[in-house]
Amino acid sequence: MSDATRPRSGRALLEVSGLRTTFDTPSGPLTAVDGVDLEVRLGSRLGVVGESGSGKSVMSRSIMRLLPKSKVTTSGKVLFDGIDMMSLSRRELLDLWGPQIAMVFQDPLGSLNPVMKIGRQVGEGLRVHRSMSAKAARTAALELLDEVGIPEPQRRIDEYPHQLSGGMRQRIVIAIALACSPRLLIADEPTTALDVTVQAQILDLLETQRAERDMSLMLITHDLGVVAGRTDEIVVMYAGRIVERAPTATLFRDMRMPYTEALMRSIPKITDDSHTRLEIIGGRPPEMTRLGPGCKFAPRCKYAQDLCTAEEPALMPAASSQTNEEATAHLYRCFYPVGSNEAAEALERNIASGRVSETGVVIGAA
Amino acid sequence: MAGSGNAHLRPDALVSARDIVVEFPAAGGRTVYAVSGVSLDIMEGETLGLVGESGCGKSTTGRAMLQLPRPTSGSVQLGGQELTDLDDEAMRLIRPRLQMIYQDPISSLNPRRTVRDIVAEPLFIAWDNLARRSAIAVWQERVAALVQGLARRVAKPMRILGFAMSVAFVLWIASETVEERAAESLFGWTEVPAAVIGFPALALSLAVGAVFAVLGVAWILLMLMLPFGLMSRQFGAVPTAVGLVGVVATTTASAFLLWRTWSSFGGWAHWVNSGLLGTITVVLVLWLLASLVRPALAGTSAVATSLSAMVVLQVFYIGGLDDTPKLAVLVASGVVDALLFVWIRRRYHASRQELRARADPRVREVLTYVGINPDDALDRRPWEFSGGQAQRLSIARALVSVPQVIICDEPVSALDVSVQAQILNLLEDLKNLMGLTLVFIAHDLAVVKNVSDRVAVMYLGKLCEVSEPGPLYSQPAHPYTDLLLAAIPHPDPEAPIGDSSKIGGELPSPLSPPSGCRFRTRCPLAAQRCADEEPQMREIAPGRFVSCHTPLVGEPAPPTSMAEFSVGAES
Repeated sequence: MSDATRPRSGRALLEVSGLRTTFDTPSGPLTAVDGVDLEVRLGSRLGVVGESGSGKSVMSRSIMRLLPKSKVTTSGKVLFDGIDMMSLSRRELLDLWGPQIAMVFQDPLGSLNPVMKIGRQVGEGLRVHRSMSAKAARTAALELLDEVGIPEPQRRIDEYPHQLSGGMRQRIVIAIALACSPRLLIADEPTTALDVTVQAQILDLLETQRAERDMSLMLITHDLGVVAGRTDEIVVMYAGRIVERAPTATLFRDMRMPYTEALMRSIPKITDDSHTRLEIIGGRPPEMTRLGPGCKFAPRCKYAQDLCTAEEPALMPAASSQTNEEATAHLYRCFYPVGSNEAAEALERNIASGRVSETGVVIGAA
Repeated sequence: MAGSGNAHLRPDALVSARDIVVEFPAAGGRTVYAVSGVSLDIMEGETLGLVGESGCGKSTTGRAMLQLPRPTSGSVQLGGQELTDLDDEAMRLIRPRLQMIYQDPISSLNPRRTVRDIVAEPLFIAWDNLARRSAIAVWQERVAALVQGLARRVAKPMRILGFAMSVAFVLWIASETVEERAAESLFGWTEVPAAVIGFPALALSLAVGAVFAVLGVAWILLMLMLPFGLMSRQFGAVPTAVGLVGVVATTTASAFLLWRTWSSFGGWAHWVNSGLLGTITVVLVLWLLASLVRPALAGTSAVATSLSAMVVLQVFYIGGLDDTPKLAVLVASGVVDALLFVWIRRRYHASRQELRARADPRVREVLTYVGINPDDALDRRPWEFSGGQAQRLSIARALVSVPQVIICDEPVSALDVSVQAQILNLLEDLKNLMGLTLVFIAHDLAVVKNVSDRVAVMYLGKLCEVSEPGPLYSQPAHPYTDLLLAAIPHPDPEAPIGDSSKIGGELPSPLSPPSGCRFRTRCPLAAQRCADEEPQMREIAPGRFVSCHTPLVGEPAPPTSMAEFSVGAES
């Protein structure tokens, strides 16, 4: 682990270093996660942001060791509270899943058993891990349903998933995840399939439950808006790599990675006037089986120079930050970071050479 | 809130939908009240944003404007022309002017067709529709549908009957009442008693009979189908005269066959067979006539079975023919049909290529508009494209018929943020370039604000608020709009997180919507009046319309009698 990625304050609950997951595909090896270092400290909230295909879900499943064994190679180190997850047997993992780490998935209908009553599903973890009796588990499930805001838990407990709305189902999934009071909750796009009103309710529920149970949270999403107000630290992923990592406030105030900047600017903002021109990121994410050398974002980046396509930048600390702690907390992967003089010059050169239009759009990438 | 009324409608709108009601039957005799009296209008060149939670009826409203399906009641006008009472044929002629873009770009494109054909399809259909406008063309189409339906349904009963009849045929030959002529002309046997032939011969004749039956059936079906069946929609370019000649030729041949069959038998078999044949023939003719009037009747399997029985009977009675000239007539009519078939096939292929060639410049043009290089893309298939590019293809397909109005149903919801911006900018550019009028349906309020000139907020099949985006977003008047805005996560850590306790609850079931204002069950301001009386759309500030008794902006609604009076005065 380099100096830059050393934990700063608070004990790290989850430490990931050099995580690398490769799929064996017909068109060659596909490295979906490549050298990810991150940590989730006790009681903190980490946001993982990236577009589809950036490797954020594969990363979370690699950490949980949920990926199938065949045609997948995972390497690197995952320490959960000092336990090396990579060396655990299936049996030991089963003991870990639930009471230690739990997960909430994007599609609540797909992650619930359609032919099992809700009460049984919520209480299942308690019966397995806490050896509770069916009766005690049912009582506990009732309490959990009440805690996650299911109205009339007495009635709902004997219903099946299809009888509930999408938002209610996601509450059930959260109740299942919370049942054994895990120390880390990984929420993988928990609100993407939901309406904006329900999304707010679910995010609030996650936050109140996290605070009450002093849980750590890893919130994976493609929506910068979702992580903005609800995380302590954010990791931005692109092409299987972490391209920027910073405390939430720092990231939004002082982003360095051109990809983060482009992502931010491409989101329509509610405060902008109608018909405001959106700044687009030309082109699309790279083919993961055919990655060239250099920065993976370079073909779409308006600052990119020859250096960027030749050599891949390492994660470097933000030098201009005022304090040392801030510097090690804020990492980015770019030779021409946003806001630097080098970047401004690089952009000018690109505009002059015709690679980038006056409005800052990469020509030819689209 | 969530009420009715037409106060917000403007004169001279390009699209004007009034009091659209869409209801779907549900299990147990209940009704889903998907859209309950929504009125919207769109001026030329305007973008109307339609927002709401899933299940609020926004997509159904958009589709009702396109008559997909037709609204249960209400009126939709495009440029002053009423669409709800047009028949399918007339509506097809309107469709080039009204196009749609769907949410999921991949599944809305046929994976087996090339980009060239996908994008050109609206043109092919539009040209085809123009070619088929005459009454005879419509008649031809109905006959074609009938024969196609028949061919589809007839296959199985035909096999069963073919087998049964070949058994009957063998028994018939073996019987004492067999007519020598028939046996002779079929097999060249004379005066051989069935008993002598024995079992092997019986089995042989069973096999021969089966083959003969199948071949005969195929032949007669071909004769029946060719002139009609090939007149289907894709053969719109075939001249009517050819079709008529084909119809006359086949009908004559069939009638002749029937007559020969009828008169060539004696004995008790004559009465049984011709009685059966006659009945079936009458049913068939009646059915044919009825199907021409009501195309839905075509292909009913009971009738199809009767027909196949008749065809099989006919096959057997062909054996009864002995006059060479009459056989020659039969062969000749078959040759005419075959020639017709070949000619039409050639004509068809030429015309498909001709159509492609005719469409080519237009297809290339629209692909260029949407930022896809036609030389690369034309011969590829949709699954070779990424989601964003596939959505561009959908847009190209919508543009190719030069529409006035495009209804975009969640066009960017399935796309990544970076691609979403590309598509939004593209739609904006195309709108300016082609003078399009857009209806933009989405659940993302920020996206809707970005593209819209006017925003309508829907809740459970009713309109809540219609306004220009600026004031609607800065100062929502309807409590539901306020709630929606509060729920949006802002990409800014300093922004206050909306209080979700305010949101409370979920959309009630559209099977039994609440009385009065439909939003009252979740509304923080709900009062008794909201349950008793449905709020009407009214203007609370210039250009701002809200249906709420106690809006957050402007005066509360006047008491009921006054409300009725003012609505009456406005309309």
